[in-house]
Amino acid sequence: MRNPVKSIKETSARYKTLDGRERKRFWADGILNNAIYIILVIFLIYTYTQNHLILSRSAIVNLLTLVAANLPMALGIGGCIVLTGTDLSAGRIVGLTAGLSAALLQGTAAANKYFENLGEPGLGMVLLTLLLVLIIGGFVGMVNGFFVARFQLHPFIVTLATQLIVYGACLMFYNSNGNNGQPISGLSEAFRNFVTGSFLPKIAGQTIPNYVVYAVIVFIIMWFIWNKTTFGKNMFAVGSNPEAANVSGVNVFFTTMMVHTLAGVTYGYTGLIESARIASNVANTGTNYESDAIAACVIGGVSFVGGTGTVGGVLLGVVLLRIIYVCLQFLSVDQNLQYIIKGAIILLACSIDMRKYLTRK
Amino acid sequence: MKMKKLVSLFLSAVMVCALASCGSGSGDTTAAADTTAAATESAAESGAEGESSAAGQEAAGEAFTPKVGVFYYSFADAFISSVRSELDAALTAAGIEYQNYDGNSSQATQNESITTALSSGTNLLLVNLVDTASVDAATTIIEQAEAAGAKVIFFNRAVEGDDQEGQVLNAYDSVAFVGTDAPEAGHLQGQMIGEYLTENFDTVDLNGDGKISYAMMMGQVGNVEAIYRTQYSVEDADAVLAEAGHGTADDPALVYFNPDNTDKYQADQAGNWSAQAALEYMQTNLSQYSEANGNMIELVICNNDNMAEGVITALQAAGYNNGEGTTTIPVFGVDATESAKGLIASGYMTGTVEQSATGMANALVGMVQNVAAGESMDAAVEAVVATDADLYSVAEAVANKLYVAYSAYTG
Repeated sequence: MRNPVKSIKETSARYKTLDGRERKRFWADGILNNAIYIILVIFLIYTYTQNHLILSRSAIVNLLTLVAANLPMALGIGGCIVLTGTDLSAGRIVGLTAGLSAALLQGTAAANKYFENLGEPGLGMVLLTLLLVLIIGGFVGMVNGFFVARFQLHPFIVTLATQLIVYGACLMFYNSNGNNGQPISGLSEAFRNFVTGSFLPKIAGQTIPNYVVYAVIVFIIMWFIWNKTTFGKNMFAVGSNPEAANVSGVNVFFTTMMVHTLAGVTYGYTGLIESARIASNVANTGTNYESDAIAACVIGGVSFVGGTGTVGGVLLGVVLLRIIYVCLQFLSVDQNLQYIIKGAIILLACSIDMRKYLTRK
Repeated sequence: MKMKKLVSLFLSAVMVCALASCGSGSGDTTAAADTTAAATESAAESGAEGESSAAGQEAAGEAFTPKVGVFYYSFADAFISSVRSELDAALTAAGIEYQNYDGNSSQATQNESITTALSSGTNLLLVNLVDTASVDAATTIIEQAEAAGAKVIFFNRAVEGDDQEGQVLNAYDSVAFVGTDAPEAGHLQGQMIGEYLTENFDTVDLNGDGKISYAMMMGQVGNVEAIYRTQYSVEDADAVLAEAGHGTADDPALVYFNPDNTDKYQADQAGNWSAQAALEYMQTNLSQYSEANGNMIELVICNNDNMAEGVITALQAAGYNNGEGTTTIPVFGVDATESAKGLIASGYMTGTVEQSATGMANALVGMVQNVAAGESMDAAVEAVVATDADLYSVAEAVANKLYVAYSAYTG
């Protein structure tokens, strides 16, 4: 991390050496390069003038929880996009793992118990289930990675295929054991406490649910993997030029497979969290989650060109999408217009952001 | 190197095979085909029986051995899944050969499976239309079926809107409809809410302003059932309340919680009727509206139970609906899923509207048997209604439209 005070000093020293025209350009570039932050702030200020409650404590906690729910998946998909790929199977993997988590962690009093022989789960069972869904998510991710790496197939087509396979498995799961496609709910206290309960003390009268804390942990782990490990560096190398990476001794096969596996693990994690956060799981849970996650990554500067992107950028993308959602609710915007506004902002934010990569190339 | 390639090719082939075999092993349609292949003979028998009983009356057509194709709008829908397992059981028990198809929420997919099924000799189509109340979609299917000499029974999702009644069903002889009267769920929900509020008005009216501020969760923009439910639940509740002296027709007792929202609903933007959408809306609403601010939402009406569950999760996270010692905001849904019934039993949810999956499945099998025996669609509908006059009824202006009744469920 660079020292911010020092870098401001450096920038101001450099600014003094510029002449009039260059100074104009400095400001124009500055505004365009930070366009997303500026859009965010403008959007918030406008909403604030219409409805002061947008900056109330409860509204901020609400925003935090919405961001925490989407962030891990976006971080996982981010890796696939760095490799110039994508992942369409994410939402369906969430659907399957959410259903599994719910079925394994139902309370004994649940109206329609999926596994009738299971007793009341404790914390140990919750952790075991977490491990299980991480493995399942990771396994599907690994299958994705294997076909991408081994057969040079585009991830679009590989994950389209696994999406269908996972959805089929998910439908079978919901229809077996006498469940007949009914929602799986009636989750145990231990499970709901683990996810939506709070071990933090109340902050300014607001409870922060645990999954916000977990999202912070996931974010730190991902930051570490992307920035401080050989694997992370290899990921960017493969993303910007696989041949060059191969020649310089990077194991392209292994790296590709691991990136997809890691992504799968984040979907498995999201499945468990969503299961308790929503507390009602059907076969359609998770549908299209990947579209918001992909949009968040691209808004945050993870380019489809490959090899560029930061975890901070992904976070910013998720925050922007969620702020749009919350502000539109607080502004009571007409439902039909909401689609148009959301689409327009995504398009605007992405094109302004891509501009800096275009000029660099 | 070559060896390595061969090995990996072999391994991936094994993987694909394993996946495929595991898929078909427990697959729905193959399982159905297995059990029904053996039962085709008995189907022929029951067909013959039907013929002799119908021979006394004026038979409208010839008896035939039914080969049924069931076209569901989506395998993922909870209520439709219950209908599917009930119908699978009932058809198997009746010894009728059938195959299931998933429309996957796309009318195009459904039409394609219908053409394929017709070309493979299916002569009786049970269609759960994807595009509700689309006269064109229904007509296309009927005309294809007629060309192939097959009959069509639509079920569950409406084929014509209320203002188009009879436009499709009265125009063809080889067609019938088994389902619910789309507005009825909304009427029943409104009735139930009205009665509940009349009894508990002062408890529900948290800020004591004589109005109930409500939130509305809509399943899908542009879906007929969602529109009716959204409209009638509020209108009917207001009517009941006005009679009991709360509010008038011009100044109703139910007021949408957010005066700036002219839609008066919040809709799942993905059109999935999902708990997730309802949860996120409600959580965002609750960050502005609370008991402490004196503007708490005092009632939540949802188009289905799944959304109701999402709302309850959000309420619980905000400290409501947690049983004794906490304020309970009444939440109403539609469908009576098992988990909603569980929530109602534990007092976290207030009411829902039940639609009988078994009743629907039995009506369909009855229709198939009667039609295969050579009866006309109108006569088949009449015969099914005669089996249970409380549950089934015939639409007033359309003789080939069979309604399965909804009922209110409050535990």
